[in-house]
Amino acid sequence: MIGLAAMAAGAALVALGSGLPYLARSDRYVRPALWAQILGTTVMGAWGTAVFAGAGTLGVPFRDSFDPALGVDPLSGFFLLTLAVVTVPALGFALGTLPGSRGARSLSALTGAFILAMTGVLVARDVTTFLAFWELMTVLPATAILVSHHGRSARHDVYVYLATTHLGGVGVWVALLALVRFHALGDPGALAGRAETLQIGIGLAALIGFGTKAGLMPLHSWLPRAHPLAPSHFSALMSGMMIKVAIYGLVRFTLGWPARSAALLGVALLALGLLSCLGGVLYALVQHELKRLLAFHSVENVGIIALGLGAAFILNANGDHLWAALALAAALLHTMNHAVFKGLLFLGAGSFHSAVGKLDLDHLGGLLKRMPWTGGAFLIGSMAIAGLPPFNGFASEWLTLEALLHGATSTPLRTALPTLIALAGLAGTAALAVLCFTKVVGLVLLGPPRREACATAQESARPVLAGLVALGTLCVLLGCIPGILVARLVSLAPGGPVRLPMRAGMDIVGTGSFPAAALLAFLLTGGALLVLLRSRRSAAPAPVWTCGQPVEVPLRWTSAAFTKPLRLLMEPVLKPERSVDVERNGVLVESVAYESHTPHLFDTLLYRPVVRAALAWAALLRRIQSGSLRAYIATLLGLVIALLAIARLGLMR
Amino acid sequence: MMPDAWVSTLVELAAGTVAAPLLPGIIQAVKARLQGRPGPSPLQPYRELNRLWHKSTVDPDGSGVVYRLAPPIVTVSLLAAVVVVPATSFEEVSPLGHDVLVLVGLLALARFSLALAAWDTGSGFALMGASRDLTFAALVEGMLLAVLVLVALPSHSTDLGTLMATTSGLAGWGGALRWCALGAFGLVVLAETGRQPIDNPDTHLELTMIHEGPLLEYAGRDLAMLQWSAAARHWIMFVLTVEIFLPHAHGMIPQLLSELVGLPLWCVLLAVIETWQAKMRLLAVPRLLGAGTAIALAGFVTWFIGARP
Repeated sequence: MIGLAAMAAGAALVALGSGLPYLARSDRYVRPALWAQILGTTVMGAWGTAVFAGAGTLGVPFRDSFDPALGVDPLSGFFLLTLAVVTVPALGFALGTLPGSRGARSLSALTGAFILAMTGVLVARDVTTFLAFWELMTVLPATAILVSHHGRSARHDVYVYLATTHLGGVGVWVALLALVRFHALGDPGALAGRAETLQIGIGLAALIGFGTKAGLMPLHSWLPRAHPLAPSHFSALMSGMMIKVAIYGLVRFTLGWPARSAALLGVALLALGLLSCLGGVLYALVQHELKRLLAFHSVENVGIIALGLGAAFILNANGDHLWAALALAAALLHTMNHAVFKGLLFLGAGSFHSAVGKLDLDHLGGLLKRMPWTGGAFLIGSMAIAGLPPFNGFASEWLTLEALLHGATSTPLRTALPTLIALAGLAGTAALAVLCFTKVVGLVLLGPPRREACATAQESARPVLAGLVALGTLCVLLGCIPGILVARLVSLAPGGPVRLPMRAGMDIVGTGSFPAAALLAFLLTGGALLVLLRSRRSAAPAPVWTCGQPVEVPLRWTSAAFTKPLRLLMEPVLKPERSVDVERNGVLVESVAYESHTPHLFDTLLYRPVVRAALAWAALLRRIQSGSLRAYIATLLGLVIALLAIARLGLMR
Repeated sequence: MMPDAWVSTLVELAAGTVAAPLLPGIIQAVKARLQGRPGPSPLQPYRELNRLWHKSTVDPDGSGVVYRLAPPIVTVSLLAAVVVVPATSFEEVSPLGHDVLVLVGLLALARFSLALAAWDTGSGFALMGASRDLTFAALVEGMLLAVLVLVALPSHSTDLGTLMATTSGLAGWGGALRWCALGAFGLVVLAETGRQPIDNPDTHLELTMIHEGPLLEYAGRDLAMLQWSAAARHWIMFVLTVEIFLPHAHGMIPQLLSELVGLPLWCVLLAVIETWQAKMRLLAVPRLLGAGTAIALAGFVTWFIGARP
């Protein structure tokens, strides 16, 4: 009872924080309103954590009826915890940047409403509530983007976002309503008696619906458009949490899928996951704008989560409950980890934006010296997302790789081969992410400033810093005690309880064990000892070696230069376009103009033809809209007769 | 944690640290003989480390804390990697475990730190080397994981000790699996240690450097640490080759003996390859690595068709 009251109080606080500036019609209330939202989110996150830790389910379980019902079980609790972990620092960022800026009142209200909508999806216990909050969650970020951007291109991107997510969202409706129809909502095991084509159909509908919202390739086209446009704390919420709510939906409604079709769905998840991983990181590598690059990395990380889920399906279908549970835990752990480091990176990018203006990668630089705290946190986030030990990204990628490896070694060839390919692809992705974030850190934080604004950049405001440092600390903390979370996460798996000892590291049968804390301790003490050993560092200053040429700032390496070997390698896949104009005066070269651009092939080769065809069909249908009343009446009459005929013939049974 | 485990870990760490520079030394010495030069003694790397240790370092203009911290971070990652790779399968479990994916992560950490140092100095040659290194790493890591699955197929484990035990003896060598694994892993070794035909460790031409590029700005103790780290990479990769991918005996003493014989022999083999092969064109390397991945996949399929019990 206390739990329900606390959840309600938390939600009420967020709602209050959302409405306050509007009701009071004054910007003075933006700050207290954001504080109220922070408090409310913390309370809900705390109770979510309690439920996840085993304090007992709140409210009702999931049910097939259409009557509104709410509740929190361990799975929802875990996602509520994740929500709080991203949202509180994001609100801290809003505290530091929103008051006094344009649209502060609307944005703070929208932030609160967005938090409530995501919470609503997580605690809904029936299909009506779920779908209502789901649609609300889609619309609110669009509004936030339109509040802060008025341009034509922004409107177009918002349109693409809404169109894609709504069209893809049909899958969610189809899947959920079908599950209700077969009394399998919240318990897909009930589908076991049904035809296999039906199971696969529903599963694929769910995959398309939730996959679109999660940003899985090739349904991701909206993500790199919408995420960079939103205000930075909104970007952090969208990348950190909104796409994770889609993962929640996928896990919620497909966990415990009957074994017969689970293997096939698992392979489908692996295929989409692998495409998202590799595609996401490759397109991230060729981006030149920081927030857009981060958005593509969200696609990559959702791909990693999908690989973990796919492995869970395949291993479950093969009857390997321990590794299926671990694969699920890997996916959920990566969900949490990605929320933490992607929230950190987006907030960091937002801080850089406030400090220096444009986020064009080739015109930043030197920010680590000028903004040491923001820069340091951003560096930690980059190492975490690149999957480097001892940070949290490595822990979940390690477990995902292990799960895939066990899928590849212990299942039959038809699932083992896709799993092996996914495994190799994921390893390649991790290495490419290292390449990408080396580039990002190098261009943004290191080297000399490449623009006047970067030379005079100032450290971010206190509340912003507090959020960034908290998220950076979490990257280290979650990287050093992943085992504790995993031990709880494996208990969420269906099909028999799986128990793991509560340890900081992950000492699992079939692995050489990953003692995370010991590794961190070794790296820290060893590193410190080596620094001491190096001791007295009599260093001679010297210019950088350029074969004796003078060091010239305009000749410094750019984002495109650093990824050139990869671009050459991937030319058949990425199809970059470039033009070089050399102006000569006799033999003397007067000027060289170089331009290169990597088109987003999903847009040009996949979406554009589809949109064009859709528009052609729409033009055909438009003829019905002649404006003549008689034509409309005739259409309606025809429709009624057709429906009656269908009902009479019994085609709708 | 048992005291035995600490002892064996420390012995392991000391042995790896001390023995590692010998391996590139042997390669250099043998290579010189094969090319008809008297060449340096196999102990030359130790002399060089000693010389560097007593020299002062260099800080390029504008470089910061990232450049200064990179050598210790690279070195400590490699030290951890040396601990993670057991010398035999009969050791006590080390406090860092013996997981092969942790090893991959540690090598990536070293690569990342060095590439960031390149960005910190802004040196064009260093960045060129770093970007090539990281690009190839993507292909190598994919291939490495595929190869690991091949040797993990019988035991379903990524524990290096278990892998060393289950791959011992001559049992699997009748089938294609082990041969494919050896072939593909051989390429991984060449790429990870930066040997010809993928990279030339002796090059003095900045434009062709891969692994050497990011080291250009360093001097003194910094460079000594980085050179030791490069040698440690040889140690790790060669121990894995000899104890997992080549035929080897089972049992503590036989395993140590096979290392004692196998490591120098493998060095001689690499020296022969280096003498016989020129460095490959840069963009031909991915094709070679792709071929390696194809070999690994082929080996994987043969396991399911034939040898599976």
